[in-house]
Amino acid sequence: MSEQMTSHQEFPDTMDTMDTEENSTVERCLTFESGNLILYISTKYVIEAIHNISNHSITRLPLVPPYIKGIINLRGQILPVVDIKMRMGKSETEYTSTTCIIVLDINSVSLGIIVDSVRQVMDIDLKDVRPIPVKRQQKLLDGMVTMADGSVFMSVDCQALAQNSTLNDMGVI
Amino acid sequence: MDNGMEGILDTYLFETNSLLDQLDEMLVKDEKIGEFSSDDVNEIFRIMHTIKGSSAMMEFGSLASIAHHIEDLFFYIRDKGIDSLDPEHKKELFNLMFRSEDCLRGEVEKVENGEPLDTEAEMEGFAKEINDFLKKISGAAPEEPAEKSASAPAADSAPAPAPEAAGIENLPADPKAVCFLHVFLDEGIGMENLRAFMIINTLKECEVEFRYYPSDMESNPDTCSVIIEDGFYLAFENVEMSAKAEDILKSQGHIHSYELVMVPEPEPEQPKTASEPGSSAAKPASPAPDQKASAPKAAASAPVKQNLISVNLTKLNDLLDIVGEIVITESMVTSSPELSQLSRDSYDNFMKSARQLRKLTDDLQDLSMSLRMVPISGVFQKMNRIVRDMKQKLGKDVHLTLIGEDTEVDKTIVDSIQDPIMHMVRNSMDHGIEDTEEERVAAGKKAQGEIVLSASHTSNEVVISIADDGKGMNPDKILAKAKEKGILTKPESEYTKKEALGLIMLPGFSTNQTVTEFSGRGVGMDVVKKNVESVGGVVSLTSEEGKGTTFSIKIPLTLSIVDGMKVTVGNSIFTIPIANIRQSFKISADEIIYDESGSEMVERIGGFYPIVRLHQFYDIETEVTNVEEGILIWVETSDHSFCLFVDDLIGEQQVVVKPFPTFLNCYELKNSGIGGCTILGDGNISIILDITTLHMAALENI
Repeated sequence: MSEQMTSHQEFPDTMDTMDTEENSTVERCLTFESGNLILYISTKYVIEAIHNISNHSITRLPLVPPYIKGIINLRGQILPVVDIKMRMGKSETEYTSTTCIIVLDINSVSLGIIVDSVRQVMDIDLKDVRPIPVKRQQKLLDGMVTMADGSVFMSVDCQALAQNSTLNDMGVI
Repeated sequence: MDNGMEGILDTYLFETNSLLDQLDEMLVKDEKIGEFSSDDVNEIFRIMHTIKGSSAMMEFGSLASIAHHIEDLFFYIRDKGIDSLDPEHKKELFNLMFRSEDCLRGEVEKVENGEPLDTEAEMEGFAKEINDFLKKISGAAPEEPAEKSASAPAADSAPAPAPEAAGIENLPADPKAVCFLHVFLDEGIGMENLRAFMIINTLKECEVEFRYYPSDMESNPDTCSVIIEDGFYLAFENVEMSAKAEDILKSQGHIHSYELVMVPEPEPEQPKTASEPGSSAAKPASPAPDQKASAPKAAASAPVKQNLISVNLTKLNDLLDIVGEIVITESMVTSSPELSQLSRDSYDNFMKSARQLRKLTDDLQDLSMSLRMVPISGVFQKMNRIVRDMKQKLGKDVHLTLIGEDTEVDKTIVDSIQDPIMHMVRNSMDHGIEDTEEERVAAGKKAQGEIVLSASHTSNEVVISIADDGKGMNPDKILAKAKEKGILTKPESEYTKKEALGLIMLPGFSTNQTVTEFSGRGVGMDVVKKNVESVGGVVSLTSEEGKGTTFSIKIPLTLSIVDGMKVTVGNSIFTIPIANIRQSFKISADEIIYDESGSEMVERIGGFYPIVRLHQFYDIETEVTNVEEGILIWVETSDHSFCLFVDDLIGEQQVVVKPFPTFLNCYELKNSGIGGCTILGDGNISIILDITTLHMAALENI
């Protein structure tokens, strides 16, 4: 168990320092990979990342869509876990040693998302973010941005993730 | 600072509300016997004094002014003795007191909701009423010598005599002063130095000439501890001034006691000072009998107040969570596989300590669970008041009997059943009890109606019932009314009596033709039902025409802990509340009976029960699909009984129920037999089954 405790990597909320720069549109974001996409999510939603998830047994829940992998016991707190790859409509892949659970708190809805690997925390200027041109039914990503090295990052729509609306589920199952 | 203010406001609200509750209880009790006991008069005086003081400090002028007027009134009554009032006046006094209580409560509620308070000018009308009453009763009994009334309050604003001349030797050096007032503040009020300074300012405003010690109390926070320890001194150059100051001190809040200390100086002034100490000594002495009388009362009520502390509910919940964690972590430690590598001796030692730890954590858990339990008497007492008010308004003579007031239930339950109980008591008063005494006598009943409010424990439920001996309900009338409202779902003739009665709990049903002040506002029994269901309870009613109606509320004792049986299905572990389990047994394949659609049933002790295969219902992969390999668990709820097929039993365990994360709310797991989840000793999660909803989902919707 002690090993598990040390493997939690805290992401300090750096928004306070950001706010001091006036009218800044730069946001601190955590970037991660899932299903060959590079995604990012604002650090203000991120509580922590859990590495080597094999330490946490995921309790499966009946009667929920398959992308909800189940619930885990995070130090006494019950946390639902969503496989973000399956949430985007892709097929499930084996979990590897880099697979992570990112624990989020989106407007006091807590959940964990399973991602292929966590990359780094970086500043993204919201002015550079462009909408995704293709409208799909499964709208989980709500923006994209090209970085200096030419790679494209996509923004996860946290509200859509947290609302988890029942209408969308029908399409997934 | 903001936080500090909030804390003070919380304390103020808590204190004022509990004082008002106390007042209410006293008034209702005294009105029954039609008499204030002198203890109660003292007590009311004290309550009003406290409310006045604290309200003034919080700058709630309207509250302070009303309390002040009542205080005056009761000061007079106490002084004259309650017996000086004739019965008419007493009756009037009770009504006046109930109205003042409501008025105070109304203002406190505004404070709670952050609404602006009535200004003192708006309150003037009511204050005048109190004054008029005071004038009336004092007119009836002509003025007593004023000095008596002047000396008496000195004693009550300083109820405890000051500690025996705490420090004549500590008197501050002030050569000019002939006497000192040695003032002690209430304990634990905080910021003593500033409060003392506020009192001093008030005195100054009243043109009293004096000096005060410690003289730097305003600017030096260190004087705080001095004032707590030794009080503070007011130095006067002549005795008249000190007397004036004494009068003003009476009206100040937070003063625990004060004492007049003469400077021991054999000066020419001797005769004067000599007579004064006499009178100042006499002052505390003369009201002493009065004080003695109130002292036992104070002693009796003191433990109640001092042995209770109010704790923020969220803190308590956090504590419970942590205790739950500790219990779980403890079993994680003691069942850790590494332990097997210990040598025999050290393992024994470890287990010895572990057992001790387990005992302690068990105690801790029991204790923390009991923290949330509060007696239901608070809710019941409020009903006294409601019955009293309605008695007057409706002109019905009804007696309310309370049974089992000290029944303890979870705090959340108390909060959520107050409104339903209130509503049902009102219903019983308004619709249940006959309109006139003649009607009752004609039906062969006592002239006085009776409502019995009772609470009791069964093994795992609290049962609260509200029974009246009124006219009862007529199922046909209810049916007719329901038909008129268009809420019937099947032909009228198919309703049983019980079903017909149940109709009154549907939304949009109210049998009374006219809307009264108390009930029949359109929100009715359906709201009651909803409130009770929100804490996992059920409402039922029985009624016999002409005999009366009984409502029963059954609520699970506590929401947070369950005795459960752990079972496995595939890789999942489910927990079934033991209260629902009747039996578990194995059967052979030929004992299964199939109905026309192929559903499985089994015969058990003369009855046939459907089988629900959990692995099928929840679509869980398992190797145990053959009925002979697994085990059947016979479960039942209030009116359903069926068998669950699971892989295996693991064992019994007390589990702490945790609600599902909000994220999963939209899947209606609660309606599919999943009541919550719990963390097992090894850190894994188990799903707790809710047999009632499981039955609905698995067997009723086929």
